[in-house]
Amino acid sequence: MHSSIHASGTAEMAAPVSLTVQPTGSSGGFKEILGLLWQDKVATVSAALLVIVLACVLLGPWLLADQARAVNLMARNAPPFSISKGWMFFLGADALGRSLLARIVVASQNTIVIAASAVLLSMMIGGILGLVAGYKGGWVSALLLRLADAIMSFPSMLLAVIVLFVFDPGITNVILVLAVSRIPIFLRTVRAEVLEIKERMFVTAARAMGARTDRILLRHIAPMVLPTVINLAALEIAFVMLVESGLSFLGIGIQPPEVTWGLMVADGRNYLGSAWWLAFWPGVAIMLVTMALNLLSNWLRVVTDPVERWRLQTSVGRHD
Amino acid sequence: MGSFIFKRSLQSVFSLLVLIVLVFFLARMTGSPADLYLPQDASAEIRHQFNEQFGFNDPLYVQFGHFLWGLLHFDMGQSLQFSRPAVDVVLQAFPTTLTLAAITMPLVILVSVITGSLAAFRPGGVFDRLASFISLIGASTPNFWVAIVGVLVFAVTLRVLPTSGTGTPLHWILPVAVLMLRPTGVLVQVVRTSMMTALSSAYIKTARAKGVGSRAIVFVHALRNALLPVITVASDQAAGIVNGAVIVETVFGFPGIGKLMIDSVMLRDFAVIQAAVLVTALAVFVINIIVDITYALVDPRIRYS
Amino acid sequence: MNFWKTIAVVTSATLIAPLNPASAQDATAVAIVLPAGPDRLDPCETPRSVIGRIIKQNVVETLVELDYDKHTTLPRLAESWEQTAPTEWVFKLRQGITFHDGTPFDAKAVIHSLERTNDPALTCITRTKYLDGTDIKATEVDAHTVKFATKTAVPILPTLLAQLTISSVKTPKGEYTADPIGTGPYKFDHWTQGENVGLVRNDAYWGEKPVIDKATYVWRSESSVAAAMVETGEADLAFSIAPQDATNPETDKVYPNSDSALFRLSVDIPPLNDVRVRKAINLAIDRQAFLGSIISDKAELAMQQVGPSVLGFNANLKPWPYDPEQAKVLLAEAKASGVDVDREIRMIGRPAMFANSNEFVEAAAEMLRSVGLNIKLDNLEMTQWLKMANKPFAEDRQPNIFLTMHDNNSGDAAFTAFFKYHSNGRQSELHDADLDALIVDAGTQSGAKRAEQYNEVFRRIYEDIVADVPLFHMVNYMRVGKRLDFTPTIANAVELQLARLKLK
Repeated sequence: MHSSIHASGTAEMAAPVSLTVQPTGSSGGFKEILGLLWQDKVATVSAALLVIVLACVLLGPWLLADQARAVNLMARNAPPFSISKGWMFFLGADALGRSLLARIVVASQNTIVIAASAVLLSMMIGGILGLVAGYKGGWVSALLLRLADAIMSFPSMLLAVIVLFVFDPGITNVILVLAVSRIPIFLRTVRAEVLEIKERMFVTAARAMGARTDRILLRHIAPMVLPTVINLAALEIAFVMLVESGLSFLGIGIQPPEVTWGLMVADGRNYLGSAWWLAFWPGVAIMLVTMALNLLSNWLRVVTDPVERWRLQTSVGRHD
Repeated sequence: MGSFIFKRSLQSVFSLLVLIVLVFFLARMTGSPADLYLPQDASAEIRHQFNEQFGFNDPLYVQFGHFLWGLLHFDMGQSLQFSRPAVDVVLQAFPTTLTLAAITMPLVILVSVITGSLAAFRPGGVFDRLASFISLIGASTPNFWVAIVGVLVFAVTLRVLPTSGTGTPLHWILPVAVLMLRPTGVLVQVVRTSMMTALSSAYIKTARAKGVGSRAIVFVHALRNALLPVITVASDQAAGIVNGAVIVETVFGFPGIGKLMIDSVMLRDFAVIQAAVLVTALAVFVINIIVDITYALVDPRIRYS
Repeated sequence: MNFWKTIAVVTSATLIAPLNPASAQDATAVAIVLPAGPDRLDPCETPRSVIGRIIKQNVVETLVELDYDKHTTLPRLAESWEQTAPTEWVFKLRQGITFHDGTPFDAKAVIHSLERTNDPALTCITRTKYLDGTDIKATEVDAHTVKFATKTAVPILPTLLAQLTISSVKTPKGEYTADPIGTGPYKFDHWTQGENVGLVRNDAYWGEKPVIDKATYVWRSESSVAAAMVETGEADLAFSIAPQDATNPETDKVYPNSDSALFRLSVDIPPLNDVRVRKAINLAIDRQAFLGSIISDKAELAMQQVGPSVLGFNANLKPWPYDPEQAKVLLAEAKASGVDVDREIRMIGRPAMFANSNEFVEAAAEMLRSVGLNIKLDNLEMTQWLKMANKPFAEDRQPNIFLTMHDNNSGDAAFTAFFKYHSNGRQSELHDADLDALIVDAGTQSGAKRAEQYNEVFRRIYEDIVADVPLFHMVNYMRVGKRLDFTPTIANAVELQLARLKLK
């Protein structure tokens, strides 16, 4: 299949030609970004939360590995909001009497490493293939799309189960299988965007001026696609955490003594009737990270889009 | 249009072939079923007999040949666990999942298009904040957690819904609600984002400024332009609904294909895995073709050629 | 392939199906929740609990029934039997019984059932687990007398025959059936794949007429959902729920399920080849602490792989104390004499082997780490786990502490001793010539002598060799709805006789 676009139709849809993305990597840009961030309280809180999570990822296992592993059957299912057993047990204890707080902090590393690497991997591969498929069209596009169809129609849960039965359910394999199963969505999204963007005037102009294909793709088209992809990636992170949790629910996926938030929720579900906190807190952790990532990516999309940014800058005063 | 569908189906056969090869060999890499179907103290002779009977002693390429030959005759082989044709087993389970999906997806699209557009109309407003918040919770809550809490709350404590199983329409409420959760959460976000883009695009702004038509007309125009990414994501969610179905079917004891697939992997019932993947793949291909057609209907710039 | 028609029919059927088949609307009908559904309903597969729980002694009956309390056998379809020669038994059959399809129960039916079970075209579990190797043949003496002959003397033949269900001669040979035809108090009515199985009372039953006239079986893998179904009255009996869901002492009843959990040790591989290390492991695990926390407080500490309901169970063995200090001393001694006690040892578990088994291995691994052992925990999926459980063992395997669960519900230690401890046993780590001889000899004995011999086998394994780390004799929780009057026993590990259910 080759989807072509009427040149005549683009006029009303195309953004203004002047709309090129300014690089914001310089230090001045960074300061400006921080300033803008401070103006949006929701985004600020999200960013702060992600920084805390990042700190847990980097330092958690190093600081709290022992507390997270110490079995104490006397403190089994100790309820939350009590500091009689020390502040480590403020969120309660799990079925083996281990501190839930310590486990959530330690589990952040595996959880975030798995989710971030799987999404980054599928974003890069899917993104590049999507650029190629969208720009080249023809049989390359058709081939890539049909391969994507093949992966997409293989239920990712099933694929994961099979692969994790063949190879051991270590972290690397979980990352790989989740990444592969998420490539198609990036491929399709990017391709759809590229189909539209490539007919815009600045791209046709660049092409007419004899720019090389890879240059057009990377310098002109990729930056235009990026905001959508980042938005998608933020949602995908949640998805990957949930699929990983679903695998644990089925008894596959990450195996103890390794621990992730998803595994904690899956194990805790056995105690939903008697000790809700076992599955609740790690669930909250997943939720908070998802929310923070999405709110931040929404904000990022707004500030990187000149049109939106203008709206933001003019409306900021009115809101606060 | 007709030739487009024909061409597209032809290409789907290619995807299907890739998938078949993939599933055949991947499934067999998971190991022999003999140990699972025989008692742990079964003698070597009995195990050999078992492998001989089901052809697991043949080299892989011979088994693959048998499989392809059977496929040409619409024969997907015998299910090891159920001792009856795999196709029968799968076709009996498929309608439940299909029905689940067919109820869930339209509801998802309806809810998220309405919520997402309303949210986009006044970005940053109370409704927008609330919708974002709730949809993100939906998109990030493990569905088995919601399912079990749902049973405890609605069936055990409130006694307004049955715990599980099939039968009356009431039995479908919890499973469908759980299954809707994540797709709705994601789609609300997508609709909101693309509606915001569409509403802020130059021509809508011009239309608004000029006071062309009512708000509703502007809205519909914007929605039309916002639909492309929405369709892409919705189709992905629809294809992925089997994933959610695995969990919903497990918790609620629904006799669907999701649970059947996972059980079949656990029991190394290769014939059923293959048949189940093939049937779901066919369904996904149909969705994909419908999506491509919808693209073209929504955006007249995309043509079949 | 009538694809769309099937879809249309089943779709409409699922949506507009008759009102909730699982609900107990009828006063004398029951709904039962099982943890897993059946894959086939063949009479020759009843030792598998997914099948046995539904049809054994309900639809299809056996000649002989086990009495777990008294370690003996009771007549069921057979009236009496006697051993006429070391390899020959004569069974007198009960007269005037007919199968559900109207055919008479006689010697021909018994022979048919045995031949069908022994047919190599099927992998009947009754054959592969129990009858394999006995070369058992049946011949008709008269219409109601059958003679069984075996290759070698099988003193426990009646125990074996308690596993063989008798089905009608119309049950086809050489293929599995999904339509069991027996003589039992209930007739098979329907099986809707993935949804439910229905049985109805057989009003022409030869024995006492049961109270319950209809039974519907459904299955839910989530224990909390199964428990909720009984609580809300959607079902009358949940076969097995997790200890943490058994919160209502009025309805939740505990029964031994004949499973025994145990860590097998790879006794050939250093450092586990040193008996001090094996003793240290036994001392370092606080078994008592698990009871009432992760494992039910009704479970019992195990000293061997068979439970008290099995002939050969040794009641004189004493449990290991929990003594981590002594364990450290033993490890230090071993280290001093050159044993590499710091070598990494794999602990192998399997998810969902029993309720909370993941938590159990995590805690056990921690206990062993705390006495200084280097434990790496691995949870394996069933097929990989089986690969490690069974011979041939991998050449280069690491020392391992391997969690297994053994269910001997046959009532005799023979099904454990050889398989788990004889040099040629498929899951045996041992190769002790004296022990081998003792095991073989025990198998040829009968009565008190047999029990005594097996007692000695288990004593040697436990006290002299310290071959493994026995853990618990496990229990299940059954949630029995308020309408029913029923107390589960160990027999319910593999069967649930509907005729024993009474209404309050």
